[in-house]
Amino acid sequence: MDKQIKKKKVSVSTVLMVLLFVVLGALTLLPFYSLFLASFRPGTELMRHGLGLKIDLPSMSLNNYKLLFTGETPYFTWFLNSVKITVVQTVLTLFVSAFVGYGFAMYDFKGKNLIFTCVLFVMMIPVEIIMLPLYKLCISLGLMNTMWGIILPTIAMPMPIFFFRQYLSGIPRDFLDAARIDGCSEYGIFFRIILPLMKPSFASMGIFVGMNSWNSMLWPMLVIRTNDKITLPIGLASLITPYGNNYDVLLAGAVFAVVPIVILFVLFQKYFIAGMTAGGVKG
Amino acid sequence: MKKTLALALVLCIVLAFAAPAFADAEPTEIEYWTFQALHVDFYKTMAEKWNELNPDRPITIKETVLDYEDMHSKLGIALQSGEGAPDLVDIEINKFANFLQGDIQLLPLNEELAPELDNIVKARVEIYSKDDNYYGICFHIGAAVIFYNAKMCEEAGIDYQNIKTWDDYYEAGKKFKEAFPDKYWASVETGDVWHVWPLIVQAGGDFTTADGEPNLDSPEVAKALEYNRKMLDEGIACVAPGGGHHQEEFYGYMNDGNICSIVMPMWYLDRFTNYMPDLKGQMAVWTLPVWDENSPKSVGQGGTGTAVTNQADDPQLTKDFLVYAKTSRDGAIVAWNDLGFDPIRVEALDLPEVKDAENVFTEYYVTRPIDVLMMVKDDIAGHNNNSVMPATLDTAKANVFTRAYTEENVNIPEMLAEEQANILY
Amino acid sequence: MKKAPDGIYIEDSGSGRRLKSFAYNARIAPYVFVAPFIIVFLIFYVYPIISGFVMSFQNVVPGQTKFVGWKNYKILTNREFKKAIRNSVVYTIATLATLLPIPMFLAVLLNSKKMVAKGFFRSIFFLPALVSVVVGGFTFRLIFGELPTSLLNSVTAKFGAEPIKWLGGPKQWTTYLALLVLAIWRWLGVNIIYYLSGLQNIPDELYESADIDGATGWQKFTRITMPLLKPTTIYVLTISIYGGLAMFLESYMLFNGNNSPNNSGLTIVGFLYKVGWQQNKYGYASAVGVCLLLVTLIINLIQLKATGFFEKE
Repeated sequence: MDKQIKKKKVSVSTVLMVLLFVVLGALTLLPFYSLFLASFRPGTELMRHGLGLKIDLPSMSLNNYKLLFTGETPYFTWFLNSVKITVVQTVLTLFVSAFVGYGFAMYDFKGKNLIFTCVLFVMMIPVEIIMLPLYKLCISLGLMNTMWGIILPTIAMPMPIFFFRQYLSGIPRDFLDAARIDGCSEYGIFFRIILPLMKPSFASMGIFVGMNSWNSMLWPMLVIRTNDKITLPIGLASLITPYGNNYDVLLAGAVFAVVPIVILFVLFQKYFIAGMTAGGVKG
Repeated sequence: MKKTLALALVLCIVLAFAAPAFADAEPTEIEYWTFQALHVDFYKTMAEKWNELNPDRPITIKETVLDYEDMHSKLGIALQSGEGAPDLVDIEINKFANFLQGDIQLLPLNEELAPELDNIVKARVEIYSKDDNYYGICFHIGAAVIFYNAKMCEEAGIDYQNIKTWDDYYEAGKKFKEAFPDKYWASVETGDVWHVWPLIVQAGGDFTTADGEPNLDSPEVAKALEYNRKMLDEGIACVAPGGGHHQEEFYGYMNDGNICSIVMPMWYLDRFTNYMPDLKGQMAVWTLPVWDENSPKSVGQGGTGTAVTNQADDPQLTKDFLVYAKTSRDGAIVAWNDLGFDPIRVEALDLPEVKDAENVFTEYYVTRPIDVLMMVKDDIAGHNNNSVMPATLDTAKANVFTRAYTEENVNIPEMLAEEQANILY
Repeated sequence: MKKAPDGIYIEDSGSGRRLKSFAYNARIAPYVFVAPFIIVFLIFYVYPIISGFVMSFQNVVPGQTKFVGWKNYKILTNREFKKAIRNSVVYTIATLATLLPIPMFLAVLLNSKKMVAKGFFRSIFFLPALVSVVVGGFTFRLIFGELPTSLLNSVTAKFGAEPIKWLGGPKQWTTYLALLVLAIWRWLGVNIIYYLSGLQNIPDELYESADIDGATGWQKFTRITMPLLKPTTIYVLTISIYGGLAMFLESYMLFNGNNSPNNSGLTIVGFLYKVGWQQNKYGYASAVGVCLLLVTLIINLIQLKATGFFEKE
């Protein structure tokens, strides 16, 4: 990178770009901001005024958070359940999907298009119609009310497979031949050469899979049977129902559900950027 | 590295398949699902009382609280597939018919209910019955009443206690509008049924027929909708902000004193106390106006039937407990004082623990809810409940009310016939 | 592309030869790589998919399920279903028109050497994706409230506009707009990251040589960036078509339920959910689901074929 050139050009385009991003960024943050403010007010205030943008200190307090931390709602149980499932699911799914995606990207084999159509098929199938039979299936496999019941059906997730396939198709196959000549086995190529190259895509897919898992609701809701296993989205939804009256906990809980992930994301960011700019795949 | 990873993976998968199904450690643990957290407290309180009375058959409640739609969907799947259902479950009345199809997966409560049947408002178990079998017991009567803002009525010179008929109510509305041109006398829902269902039943109609057909295109439905439409056109009524009386926006709007009266069932008592604190000391509960002398004074509305599933570990114990919790004197007292529910036990209203109880509701309202209940208790009509009701009500909530109240130049009977033809059943 | 000739390494002799020959066999390897998917597919999907298909010809009731022929497919002529299709299609087109070009453009800007605080902005755009739809939908429901004091109306009022009933109001476009805004808010950052990830694969030398040839920024974008982002675009396009047609939870949370006024927010999956799960008619729901599956699959297969995705085997 040539710093002198960069410095000179800073003026117009950089300012314009930053301006654009600041405006877009502010719009993106607006809902967070208003929700964050609302979380410091009693739920009845929300009914009265809706979401606002003004900071009004006298009506604000930490009561909702106190309620969240000390109240009867098993919020932290939900939270920990979600964290546990998200971590395990993300790691396993990433690994398995990368493995499969590599197979699709790097080899030509008989039945490839057919099998890949199956991947698309699984991706497109409305999960609602296979729910009932899948539920029966998981009962007979003894997976009900276990974390594995939630994770296993999506362990080879079509979207990451598709993504990794697309990502890896950028790597010239000659590269592999070179490794083969060096005496690498087919799997050695994947584990020793390709996996390290995939870091940037792991970062983006990791977030995608993690986010999916963190937010997923319908299937976990069916698998889970007992209160102590309920995950955050299911728990939060139970607070919003027209028959509930837990707006205070809901507001604080909604905000608190975001905070740790944001922290993780910001921490992760370092690795994320490093991975993205490493660009081992280039050329 | 790769070996460890591969090994971990294999291990994970093996473990997953080896994981044993969860077994209940305690034989007397009752697994209970609901969509309303308040009901959990009710059953826990009742379980304590039960354990005192039946030390040889103690129970504990193990609850799961889920979102309304989530819980009913999950129950549907669990019953359909024959595994995963709880012992005891709350089923909302609009959904109940879904669970009375095919080989019914809920247990009949006839035997257990028999001794109490004369002591309770029978309609509140009949709505959960099929072929003379009772499958659920309600929490409350759910008597439809009307909530007036007494302070505003007074300022407008309206004596709400003298409003006897729906015509009176309409005339009072005109008077109110003169006093408060930018406020509304009444509010209607586009996304829910509570505001209009009692009016339809009072007129002798219903959304469905007794033999299980949709009945949207009946003159009674049209009559009630046209009545509301007239008030809307004249600015006397407004459409509830957010489309219903359970929406955040409505709570705020009502709380600010923009609406004077709403028709809702008795169980709406706690929505005011929870969400509309500013109206404390202003709101009155009163009896519904009627169309004419043939109209019932009130209509039982909504409700949640608690049922025992055929997957219950100890069906007899669960059934006995359910009947005790819902129909006993103890249950009635707890239901009224903790939940604000008008109990289904007939004698409950005469019990000093109910009649003279001071609670958040007597503190909040300017009338005593129990007195209003006394006035109507012998004349509470019910409505039909059958397998076409869920689909019919969905159509009503999505299309019928919106069109009846907001579409320009709508011909209500024609619109109803059109919507009726689109119901899938 | 060339491939190492099969069996070339098998000629090695010595102990563990069979295992070794297995590890070096480039003909078996691809099947091993895709095996996890095939296993999961066979265990968890084959039976449910067939069963879902069969259910679409049945009246599914506990203990008394029976075949009813094509009856369930009559649902396709239902007016509500048609409305649902229209809503889903409009939504999908609107999201494709916005969530492909905008993130691509922003990603290029974010990737530019002249940009500062890249990581910061990337994080901000990505934040909404981390929030569950439950919370996001709830927040937007309040933002798009119909009262004059609701957030959006109070802002437009400053410009002299009348308060609008955004969600399910008399004008259908306000509902679409709200759904689109929620979609953009949630997915913009995700798609930016896909494109950024794809941009890392474009060698700098290409741009450098283009600079030497005196190409303008726009020319570089259309001649280098866009063509080389094609794999990413195919991916984003595919998941967006699917995501658009399968959208449900957003609408559900925005309307606090599945019964929006005049079904203005009803989507295909919403309809499926309504008949299948709210009304327990699994047969009807399966029929809708089978149709949805076929439509998305066909659209995507055509799209992938047209973009040259499938290779010759």
